[in-house]
Amino acid sequence: MRHLQGSLPRRSGHLEVSPQRQRSAVQVLICMASPNIVVGVKWVPNTTVVNVDPVTGTLIREGVPSIINPHDLNAVELALRLKEKHGGTVTAMAMSPPAAKSGLEFLIGMGVDRGVLVTDRVFAASDTFATSFVLAKALEKLFPVDVIVFGQETIDSSTSHIGAQVASWLDLPYIYYVTEAEILEGGRVRVKRSLERQTDVYELPTPCILVSMMKSNTPRRVRMSNKLRAKLEKPIEVWTNETLKLDSTRTGLKGSPTVVSKSIPTPSVPRKKQRFDGRQDPSAAAKWLLDNLVKEGVA
Amino acid sequence: MMVFAECFGGIVNEESLQLLTPARMIADKLHIEITVALFGHKVSQLGREPFFYGADRVVLVDDPKLAAYCPNVYGGALVQLAKLEKPELLLIGGTLRGRELAPYVANVLGTGLTADCTGFDVDEASGDVLQIRPPFGATMLAYIRTPKHRPQMATVRPNVFQLPPMDESRRGKIVDRSGVEIPQPSIALVSSEDVKKDQVAIEKAQVVVSGGKGIGSREGFGMVEGLASEFGGVVAGSRKAVDAGWLGHERQVGQTGKTIKPTLYIALGISGSAQHLFGIREARVVVAVNADPGAPIFESADYGIVGDYRSIVPAIIDQVKRARSKT
Repeated sequence: MRHLQGSLPRRSGHLEVSPQRQRSAVQVLICMASPNIVVGVKWVPNTTVVNVDPVTGTLIREGVPSIINPHDLNAVELALRLKEKHGGTVTAMAMSPPAAKSGLEFLIGMGVDRGVLVTDRVFAASDTFATSFVLAKALEKLFPVDVIVFGQETIDSSTSHIGAQVASWLDLPYIYYVTEAEILEGGRVRVKRSLERQTDVYELPTPCILVSMMKSNTPRRVRMSNKLRAKLEKPIEVWTNETLKLDSTRTGLKGSPTVVSKSIPTPSVPRKKQRFDGRQDPSAAAKWLLDNLVKEGVA
Repeated sequence: MMVFAECFGGIVNEESLQLLTPARMIADKLHIEITVALFGHKVSQLGREPFFYGADRVVLVDDPKLAAYCPNVYGGALVQLAKLEKPELLLIGGTLRGRELAPYVANVLGTGLTADCTGFDVDEASGDVLQIRPPFGATMLAYIRTPKHRPQMATVRPNVFQLPPMDESRRGKIVDRSGVEIPQPSIALVSSEDVKKDQVAIEKAQVVVSGGKGIGSREGFGMVEGLASEFGGVVAGSRKAVDAGWLGHERQVGQTGKTIKPTLYIALGISGSAQHLFGIREARVVVAVNADPGAPIFESADYGIVGDYRSIVPAIIDQVKRARSKT
């Protein structure tokens, strides 16, 4: 088993109080007055519009547009609501290819104050372990931070890993499936979160990581005034590995403990594909169906 | 290998017991034992049940600190247990809590994690477990391995695997590991409320009648309910119908919803995206009604009717009533 060396604090089984968590009274006041909120987002192919070639049975990937992961918009909305209520700033961070810049511009249009694009060829082909490592190191450069928000999962790899993994690297408290959040007096964050059959309320100290529940809010529209401000102030920075100076054996394929052995188009289940045109005579169609369902033994 | 079992509500949760099906296949191929780890408070009394479903060994981590669930507490304790037991593979059910917990555990252990697996295989040459999952909107199946790190870890999609056959005569060794170091909670649970959701669990129904974007409105779902009622089935919907607010997320079928295996699935006004089809692969008979003759769903259905559901559904209900009146 490979042991990991790293400059991030290692856990020893019981939680060490990491430096970030020891807040002075002044820091708590600053948090309450002006919280520093960061949202992690991803630039993804829009898998909801991907089509399968009817002839070859393979994916048509050409011309598939990319977007900010829709579930990350719920995270951005959660962050913007915190800002509306408590003040402070919201920074969006994406570890993605350079084209993601337009996605960050979209988020500035929603009201995010600042964008950071973390991009470098050495980060490409990272699994979630390596991706979360890069994000954690990039987030450290934005410290002190009060609340970090991530979306629940992406529409491309849909792992739900990143929030908890970044929490592990940074040794920060975390919670998933957050539907509502507020910052309390004393700098703690109170959240509501939903599981399958229950709703919980938790309190977390700051800094902390919240993973928003997908579809838990309606992300606001982009406003012209925000877009104009973006054009004037140019609030998006690009950080490469020149900036982060990460050991490249810990990023990309080399830094990824999981490996995709192979990928195949989802095999289709053999179906009878029988069809009846019921547009002229719905009754005939219905009778045809019932006769077949009886034969199948399901009606 | 180890299976982490959730024990909320005083029982071993079914999603965790389902894991014993792929676990048995893997354990037999690798010639290793299956250990089920029961976490919680007062879980010792649950120790016999995992054997009925094929566990070879049960490990108990029973502590009042585990009475209330907290991700870093459960996560930290599972990390300690994994360091003690050194399993080749650690499986965690992909419930919401499981998917919250597993990535933290994997990261602290410094190992890889594969999310939401729907299948497994074993590469006999290397002994690696192949972890199979559907990324990219369920249009692909990826085979993933963790060649150099241990334990291999995966979360498993609920309801893809059935419970193994139950054998109440099976017994095995119960080991108490309650002495494992359990961290202090880093967050505080303030309150917890059961939500009176839909009593119906669509994943348990034999007949499911599902509506999509083509239904057009919440009122339209009245007809979907009418048809479900005739067949003694339940109502479900596609992601588009749920996004439109016509029914709740707990009734969503598909890759980001539920995976179901009814005997009969009737899709009304559903176009048939790969993501939706992924949720019904195991349905025995699929029926589709769609006004668009080019809808992809017809390629993935056994019986398709081209037509507007507003005229087809009443005709079907009529036929069902006639057939019933004859018997």
